Amino acid sequence: MATKATISISSDIASGFGGISEEMTLTQAGTLTDIDSTTGFQIRKLAAASEVDLITMANELVEPEDSQAAKIFIRNIGYRGVTDKSVGVTIGVNSEPIGKLYGGDWMMMPLTTIDADDVTATPETADTVVIEYVMFYEEA
Amino acid sequence: MATTTAAVTLTSDLLSDNISVNASTTCMKAGTTADGLDQIEYGYVEIASGTAYDIIGNTPTASKASKLYVKNHSTDETYYISVVLDAQAIGRLYGGDWMFIPANFHDANADVEITATGGTNKIEYALFHEGTVLVAS
Repeated sequence: MATKATISISSDIASGFGGISEEMTLTQAGTLTDIDSTTGFQIRKLAAASEVDLITMANELVEPEDSQAAKIFIRNIGYRGVTDKSVGVTIGVNSEPIGKLYGGDWMMMPLTTIDADDVTATPETADTVVIEYVMFYEEA
Repeated sequence: MATTTAAVTLTSDLLSDNISVNASTTCMKAGTTADGLDQIEYGYVEIASGTAYDIIGNTPTASKASKLYVKNHSTDETYYISVVLDAQAIGRLYGGDWMFIPANFHDANADVEITATGGTNKIEYALFHEGTVLVAS
Protein backbone atom coordinates (compact mmCIF):
# COMPACT_ATOMS: atom_id res chain seq x y z
CA MET A 1 0.00 0.00 0.00
CA ALA A 2 2.87 2.33 0.75
CA THR A 3 2.22 5.85 1.93
CA LYS A 4 -0.15 7.85 -0.22
CA ALA A 5 -1.73 11.28 0.00
CA THR A 6 -4.60 12.43 -2.16
CA ILE A 7 -5.75 16.03 -2.37
CA SER A 8 -9.06 17.27 -3.72
CA ILE A 9 -9.73 20.97 -4.08
CA SER A 10 -13.03 22.37 -5.26
CA SER A 11 -13.88 26.03 -5.63
CA ASP A 12 -16.55 28.21 -7.16
CA ILE A 13 -14.39 31.37 -7.16
CA ALA A 14 -13.95 31.14 -10.92
CA SER A 15 -16.38 29.27 -13.12
CA GLY A 16 -13.56 27.93 -15.27
CA PHE A 17 -11.74 26.29 -12.41
CA GLY A 18 -12.44 22.61 -12.69
CA GLY A 19 -10.96 21.57 -9.38
CA ILE A 20 -7.86 19.62 -8.47
CA SER A 21 -7.59 15.96 -7.62
CA GLU A 22 -4.10 14.52 -7.32
CA GLU A 23 -2.49 11.58 -5.57
CA MET A 24 1.12 11.20 -4.60
CA THR A 25 3.02 8.22 -3.30
CA LEU A 26 5.64 9.28 -0.79
CA THR A 27 8.95 7.94 -2.02
CA GLN A 28 12.56 8.29 -1.09
CA ALA A 29 14.42 11.11 -2.78
CA GLY A 30 15.02 10.60 -6.48
CA THR A 31 13.71 7.05 -6.52
CA LEU A 32 10.49 5.06 -6.81
CA THR A 33 11.22 3.32 -3.49
CA ASP A 34 8.60 3.91 -0.81
CA ILE A 35 9.51 6.24 2.01
CA ASP A 36 10.34 4.09 5.02
CA SER A 37 10.24 6.05 8.27
CA THR A 38 7.67 8.00 10.21
CA THR A 39 7.29 9.68 13.55
CA GLY A 40 3.86 8.12 13.78
CA PHE A 41 0.81 10.17 14.54
CA GLN A 42 1.23 12.68 17.34
CA ILE A 43 -0.82 15.40 18.95
CA ARG A 44 0.27 18.47 20.88
CA LYS A 45 -2.09 20.43 23.11
CA LEU A 46 -1.20 24.12 23.21
CA ALA A 47 -2.57 26.63 25.70
CA ALA A 48 -0.31 29.66 25.43
CA ALA A 49 0.39 32.18 22.70
CA SER A 50 4.04 31.28 22.47
CA GLU A 51 6.16 29.34 20.03
CA VAL A 52 6.84 25.65 20.63
CA ASP A 53 8.53 22.97 18.60
CA LEU A 54 6.28 20.34 17.11
CA ILE A 55 9.35 18.56 15.83
CA THR A 56 12.87 19.28 17.07
CA MET A 57 14.94 17.72 14.33
CA ALA A 58 18.06 17.20 16.41
CA ASN A 59 16.06 15.31 19.05
CA GLU A 60 14.49 12.72 16.80
CA LEU A 61 15.30 9.24 18.07
CA VAL A 62 16.05 8.18 14.53
CA GLU A 63 18.10 10.82 12.76
CA PRO A 64 16.37 11.94 9.55
CA GLU A 65 18.49 12.17 6.41
CA ASP A 66 18.90 15.82 5.48
CA SER A 67 17.53 17.41 2.31
CA GLN A 68 15.67 14.39 0.99
CA ALA A 69 11.96 13.86 0.34
CA ALA A 70 10.49 14.25 3.83
CA LYS A 71 6.89 15.44 4.22
CA ILE A 72 4.78 16.52 7.14
CA PHE A 73 1.01 16.60 7.57
CA ILE A 74 -0.31 19.01 10.21
CA ARG A 75 -3.89 19.77 11.20
CA ASN A 76 -5.52 22.12 13.69
CA ILE A 77 -8.20 19.92 15.24
CA GLY A 78 -9.44 22.47 17.76
CA TYR A 79 -10.20 21.28 21.25
CA ARG A 80 -12.68 18.67 22.41
CA GLY A 81 -14.44 18.55 19.10
CA VAL A 82 -14.80 22.30 18.71
CA THR A 83 -12.86 24.07 15.97
CA ASP A 84 -12.67 27.84 15.71
CA LYS A 85 -12.19 29.25 12.22
CA SER A 86 -11.57 32.72 13.59
CA VAL A 87 -8.28 32.01 15.37
CA GLY A 88 -5.29 30.06 14.23
CA VAL A 89 -1.89 28.61 14.91
CA THR A 90 1.08 29.84 12.91
CA ILE A 91 3.22 27.01 11.63
CA GLY A 92 6.87 27.76 10.97
CA VAL A 93 10.14 26.20 9.96
CA ASN A 94 13.22 27.36 11.86
CA SER A 95 10.97 30.11 13.27
CA GLU A 96 10.17 31.39 9.77
CA PRO A 97 6.36 31.70 9.63
CA ILE A 98 4.84 29.66 6.82
CA GLY A 99 1.20 30.42 7.48
CA LYS A 100 -1.64 30.08 9.93
CA LEU A 101 -3.82 27.01 10.35
CA TYR A 102 -7.27 28.08 11.46
CA GLY A 103 -9.60 25.63 13.11
CA GLY A 104 -9.98 22.56 10.92
CA ASP A 105 -7.30 23.65 8.46
CA TRP A 106 -4.61 21.21 7.41
CA MET A 107 -1.37 21.37 5.50
CA MET A 108 1.07 19.02 3.81
CA MET A 109 4.54 20.27 3.00
CA PRO A 110 8.03 19.02 2.29
CA LEU A 111 10.76 19.39 4.90
CA THR A 112 14.54 19.58 4.76
CA THR A 113 14.78 17.82 8.18
CA ILE A 114 18.05 19.69 8.73
CA ASP A 115 18.71 20.00 12.46
CA ALA A 116 18.09 23.76 12.52
CA ASP A 117 14.83 23.45 10.60
CA ASP A 118 12.54 22.60 13.49
CA VAL A 119 8.81 22.70 12.85
CA THR A 120 7.21 25.26 15.14
CA ALA A 121 3.69 26.19 16.19
CA THR A 122 2.56 29.51 17.66
CA PRO A 123 -1.08 29.86 18.73
CA GLU A 124 -2.73 33.21 18.14
CA THR A 125 -4.33 33.14 21.60
CA ALA A 126 -3.97 31.27 24.87
CA ASP A 127 -7.15 29.30 24.22
CA THR A 128 -6.47 25.58 24.21
CA VAL A 129 -5.97 24.10 20.78
CA VAL A 130 -4.72 20.70 19.64
CA ILE A 131 -2.43 20.15 16.68
CA GLU A 132 -2.07 16.70 15.15
CA TYR A 133 0.86 15.84 12.91
CA VAL A 134 2.83 13.07 11.32
CA MET A 135 6.19 13.27 9.55
CA PHE A 136 7.48 10.85 6.94
CA TYR A 137 11.21 10.78 6.25
CA GLU A 138 14.28 8.76 5.41
CA GLU A 139 16.71 7.52 8.02
CA ALA A 140 20.24 8.94 7.97
CA MET B 1 -19.92 33.61 -0.40
CA ALA B 2 -17.34 31.87 -2.52
CA THR B 3 -16.59 28.39 -1.28
CA THR B 4 -13.26 26.64 -1.60
CA THR B 5 -12.85 23.24 -0.01
CA ALA B 6 -9.61 21.31 0.36
CA ALA B 7 -9.71 17.66 1.35
CA VAL B 8 -6.94 15.16 1.93
CA THR B 9 -6.76 11.43 2.37
CA LEU B 10 -3.54 10.12 3.88
CA THR B 11 -2.83 6.42 4.23
CA SER B 12 0.29 4.53 5.25
CA ASP B 13 1.21 1.00 6.15
CA LEU B 14 4.52 1.85 7.80
CA LEU B 15 3.06 1.05 11.20
CA SER B 16 1.38 -2.21 12.17
CA ASP B 17 -1.82 -0.27 12.73
CA ASN B 18 -2.26 1.57 9.47
CA ILE B 19 -2.47 5.34 9.38
CA SER B 20 -5.63 6.57 7.72
CA VAL B 21 -6.61 10.21 7.81
CA ASN B 22 -9.42 12.02 6.08
CA ALA B 23 -9.57 15.77 6.56
CA SER B 24 -11.47 18.53 4.84
CA THR B 25 -11.51 22.25 5.39
CA THR B 26 -13.38 25.18 3.96
CA CYS B 27 -10.91 27.97 3.24
CA MET B 28 -12.09 31.14 4.97
CA LYS B 29 -10.74 34.67 5.01
CA ALA B 30 -8.48 35.43 7.95
CA GLY B 31 -10.30 35.60 11.25
CA THR B 32 -13.76 35.03 9.82
CA THR B 33 -16.24 32.21 10.10
CA ALA B 34 -18.62 33.20 7.34
CA ASP B 35 -16.62 34.70 4.48
CA GLY B 36 -14.65 32.43 2.16
CA LEU B 37 -11.52 33.18 0.16
CA ASP B 38 -12.72 34.83 -3.01
CA GLN B 39 -9.77 35.22 -5.37
CA ILE B 40 -7.58 32.74 -7.19
CA GLU B 41 -4.33 32.62 -9.14
CA TYR B 42 -3.92 29.37 -11.03
CA GLY B 43 -1.10 28.49 -13.36
CA TYR B 44 1.23 26.00 -14.94
CA VAL B 45 4.86 26.75 -15.71
CA GLU B 46 7.93 24.95 -16.88
CA ILE B 47 11.01 25.88 -14.88
CA ALA B 48 14.46 25.25 -16.28
CA SER B 49 17.18 23.97 -13.98
CA GLY B 50 19.27 26.25 -11.91
CA THR B 51 17.47 29.55 -11.60
CA ALA B 52 15.31 30.61 -8.68
CA TYR B 53 11.84 31.97 -9.48
CA ASP B 54 9.02 33.38 -7.39
CA ILE B 55 6.03 31.13 -8.03
CA ILE B 56 3.51 33.87 -7.28
CA GLY B 57 3.38 36.83 -9.65
CA ASN B 58 1.66 39.41 -7.49
CA THR B 59 2.21 39.88 -3.79
CA PRO B 60 -0.82 38.64 -1.84
CA THR B 61 -2.01 40.76 1.03
CA ALA B 62 0.21 40.06 4.01
CA SER B 63 -0.80 37.97 7.00
CA LYS B 64 -4.08 36.75 5.57
CA ALA B 65 -5.37 33.22 5.17
CA SER B 66 -4.07 32.44 1.68
CA LYS B 67 -3.67 28.80 0.74
CA LEU B 68 -1.08 27.63 -1.77
CA TYR B 69 -1.09 24.38 -3.71
CA VAL B 70 1.97 23.35 -5.74
CA LYS B 71 2.47 20.14 -7.67
CA ASN B 72 5.56 18.96 -9.53
CA HIS B 73 4.20 17.22 -12.62
CA SER B 74 7.62 16.10 -13.81
CA THR B 75 7.53 12.41 -14.67
CA ASP B 76 11.20 11.81 -13.94
CA GLU B 77 11.46 10.91 -10.24
CA THR B 78 14.96 12.40 -10.01
CA TYR B 79 13.74 15.88 -10.91
CA TYR B 80 12.79 18.17 -8.07
CA ILE B 81 12.16 21.74 -7.06
CA SER B 82 13.52 23.29 -3.90
CA VAL B 83 10.98 25.43 -2.10
CA VAL B 84 12.25 28.47 -0.21
CA LEU B 85 10.28 31.04 1.76
CA ASP B 86 11.98 34.25 2.88
CA ALA B 87 15.43 32.67 2.47
CA GLN B 88 14.37 29.69 4.60
CA ALA B 89 14.59 26.35 2.78
CA ILE B 90 11.37 24.42 3.30
CA GLY B 91 11.96 21.23 1.37
CA ARG B 92 11.91 19.50 -2.00
CA LEU B 93 9.06 18.45 -4.24
CA TYR B 94 10.15 15.57 -6.45
CA GLY B 95 8.35 14.58 -9.64
CA GLY B 96 4.79 13.65 -8.64
CA ASP B 97 4.90 15.39 -5.25
CA TRP B 98 2.49 18.12 -4.17
CA MET B 99 2.16 20.43 -1.21
CA PHE B 100 -0.68 22.45 0.27
CA ILE B 101 0.17 25.13 2.80
CA PRO B 102 -1.27 28.21 4.42
CA ALA B 103 0.83 31.11 3.20
CA ASN B 104 0.66 34.40 5.02
CA PHE B 105 3.23 36.34 2.94
CA HIS B 106 4.01 38.25 6.12
CA ASP B 107 6.47 40.65 4.56
CA ALA B 108 7.89 41.68 1.22
CA ASN B 109 10.53 38.97 1.37
CA ALA B 110 8.10 36.17 2.07
CA ASP B 111 7.55 35.16 -1.53
CA VAL B 112 7.52 31.46 -2.31
CA GLU B 113 10.61 30.76 -4.37
CA ILE B 114 11.32 27.58 -6.31
CA THR B 115 14.47 26.32 -7.98
CA ALA B 116 14.43 23.37 -10.37
CA THR B 117 17.03 20.60 -10.39
CA GLY B 118 17.59 17.74 -12.80
CA GLY B 119 15.97 19.27 -15.84
CA THR B 120 12.95 21.32 -16.80
CA ASN B 121 10.34 20.78 -14.10
CA LYS B 122 6.62 21.14 -14.85
CA ILE B 123 4.88 22.96 -12.06
CA GLU B 124 1.16 23.49 -11.41
CA TYR B 125 0.18 25.97 -8.73
CA ALA B 126 -2.97 27.50 -7.31
CA LEU B 127 -3.16 30.33 -4.82
CA PHE B 128 -6.48 30.95 -3.09
CA HIS B 129 -6.44 34.35 -1.43
CA GLU B 130 -8.32 37.49 -0.46
CA GLY B 131 -6.43 40.16 -2.33
CA THR B 132 -3.08 41.04 -3.86
CA VAL B 133 -0.99 44.14 -4.19
CA LEU B 134 -1.45 44.72 -7.89
CA VAL B 135 1.26 46.36 -9.91
CA ALA B 136 0.10 49.50 -11.69
CA SER B 137 0.70 49.53 -15.44
